[in-house]
Amino acid sequence: MLGSLEEFGGALAHLLSGWGVLNVFWATLLGIIIGALPGLTATMGVALMTTLTFTMPHEQAILVLVCIYVGAIYGGSRSAILLNIPGTPASACSTLDGFPLARQGLAGRAMGISTSGSWLGTLFGILCVAALTPVLSEVALKFQSFEFFWIALFGIVICGTLAGGDPLKGYLAGFLGLFVATIGQEPYYNYQRFAFGSTDFAGGIGLLPALVGAFGIAEVLQSMRGPAVEPVSSRVESVIPRLEDVFRYWRTILRSGAIGTFIGILPGLGEDTAAWSSYAAARRASKEKEKYGKGSIEGLMAAETGESACVPGAIIPVLTLAVPGSAPAAVLMAAMLIHNLNPGPNLMLQTPEFFYQIVAMLLIADMSKLFYGLTLVRPLLWILLVPRERLMPIVFVLCVVGSYAITSRVFDIYVMLFFGFLGFILRELKFPMAPLILGLVLGDLLEKNMTRGLVLSGGSILPFFTRPVSAVLAAITIFSISWSIPGFHRWVVGLFRRRSASGAAT
Amino acid sequence: MADDPLPLLPHEEPLPPRIDLWIAAACLVFSVAVLVLSWQMPTYTEQGGQLYTAPGLVPSFYAVTIGLLGVWLAVRSIRAGALAPAGAPSEQRETGNSNQRFALAAGLGVLFVLGLIGRMPFWLAATIFVTLFVAVFDWRPGVAAKTRARQLATALLIGLGTGVLVSVVFERIFLVRLP
Repeated sequence: MLGSLEEFGGALAHLLSGWGVLNVFWATLLGIIIGALPGLTATMGVALMTTLTFTMPHEQAILVLVCIYVGAIYGGSRSAILLNIPGTPASACSTLDGFPLARQGLAGRAMGISTSGSWLGTLFGILCVAALTPVLSEVALKFQSFEFFWIALFGIVICGTLAGGDPLKGYLAGFLGLFVATIGQEPYYNYQRFAFGSTDFAGGIGLLPALVGAFGIAEVLQSMRGPAVEPVSSRVESVIPRLEDVFRYWRTILRSGAIGTFIGILPGLGEDTAAWSSYAAARRASKEKEKYGKGSIEGLMAAETGESACVPGAIIPVLTLAVPGSAPAAVLMAAMLIHNLNPGPNLMLQTPEFFYQIVAMLLIADMSKLFYGLTLVRPLLWILLVPRERLMPIVFVLCVVGSYAITSRVFDIYVMLFFGFLGFILRELKFPMAPLILGLVLGDLLEKNMTRGLVLSGGSILPFFTRPVSAVLAAITIFSISWSIPGFHRWVVGLFRRRSASGAAT
Repeated sequence: MADDPLPLLPHEEPLPPRIDLWIAAACLVFSVAVLVLSWQMPTYTEQGGQLYTAPGLVPSFYAVTIGLLGVWLAVRSIRAGALAPAGAPSEQRETGNSNQRFALAAGLGVLFVLGLIGRMPFWLAATIFVTLFVAVFDWRPGVAAKTRARQLATALLIGLGTGVLVSVVFERIFLVRLP
């Protein structure tokens, strides 16, 4: 215990030495601004900054990305409260009660609730990262290819099922992402798949250019297509959180923190699902249900705590299984791979100091977010007033720079542009984006473990279903898919009812 | 009221079944194309390689899954009335979306990537793109000449500022190569 605290203290001191403090301040501020601006999301921010910080030392680069991630998820609530437009999809739930509070002249109080809920939620999640990561890593060390195959597939399926919208389109998006990951040289014979003689395609589709396109460019196009937004008011009273709000709703904070962290741990779901689930649970348990949707302080607190607890939660599976818990965590994982940090079960064995650094990074980012939450009000209002016509071309230029930065291939800019249009079209056709990203990120893991498993078993698929952990994961995956088939859940519910009725009769 | 379902997010609202049927058809075509290409890939078994590591195996697995999901989508959309004769167009909810603004933004983006980058220094390409973008979207007919000149000057200032700042910050501070 004392040794762990010493390691943690050492990580804090190491991160905050030299340029560390400066990096924390600008990155969290940038994250909050990215999150607050409708049309720019946490995933885009992390993807863009991954490419632009890859020349930095790895711990400083990851610190910047964690600050961007934490800041952006929090920043989204500002536009949710003031514009009724979620700055990031994660903040969609905060509009339900945040905006009515602002219309009642309580924008400052709503921001105070958002700050306290978000800060406490992330803090709760950080404690879970510190407590659960070493335990889960030990469990994950016992996994073989069969289990990793199912974890990757389970991630795609559960993300498709619960990411919101049509689960079937979620699965299709996930498998499309997995397919894109197969383009280029394959791992055993270096055969160039789907390259059609092009050396550019033989090099594969760069994960980050694709992500910058699917999020950055698609969001620029969507933002320019949509209507302009106006803030509800440009006058805000004190944003200092009231302790009374925190103490009164401590149960909601703890419940939302636990739900948010749990949703974060599940592959690919992310902050928006965490916010909606926390909000729904708080409403069910609330004594003041009638206030929900009309400016409920408890509702806003639940949504903010849930989404912010999800951020550290989403990093837990990255560190233990190399499976991201959300779309921004997927990009963060890609950044760790670029910096040769090898996320996954071996991380705790090979580079345990990085685990302490991640916990320290999250804590630093959370404290920095609190600082800006209490001080940054008027400048953020001005930023929200910047017309998108002036902001979006600048974002477009940054996306171009970002996609080119890592490998200096012009081809990557074309990939970014292609994925920008593809992302835009898929969103218009109601495909969720999170499974696509998860497919892209997990493609390599799934392919290697599927083929390795088949080689180990001599072509038999039985071990994929008969090993204990594999069997559980396979059952959950198949059940999740079946649950999406119309009529299946009615059939299951009917089956249980018939059984209980016949049990009661006998 | 308290137990009303939560409102749907934009991406959760369903599409007309006929569009879903077209998506299903595209999935099936895509699936068949990937299967054919995967089938044509070498297996390396003649060189002692195992069949389970054949390059086409995993893409085939994905293609078959996409195909099956496509069939599921097709069946679902047909059951929902995708093949029924088209009735009167349903009332469209006013969203404030503009395809004209989208086409303009997309066109300018393509012009920047395919027409400007690589043909001139990046700062100049970025300046031209941002200036054009701001000027085009700020353009309002019937504006006084003085206001128009001010708008154009603002666009140029933002463009030049972006071009120079992006070049200096990323090339000098982040040490990133620019296209």
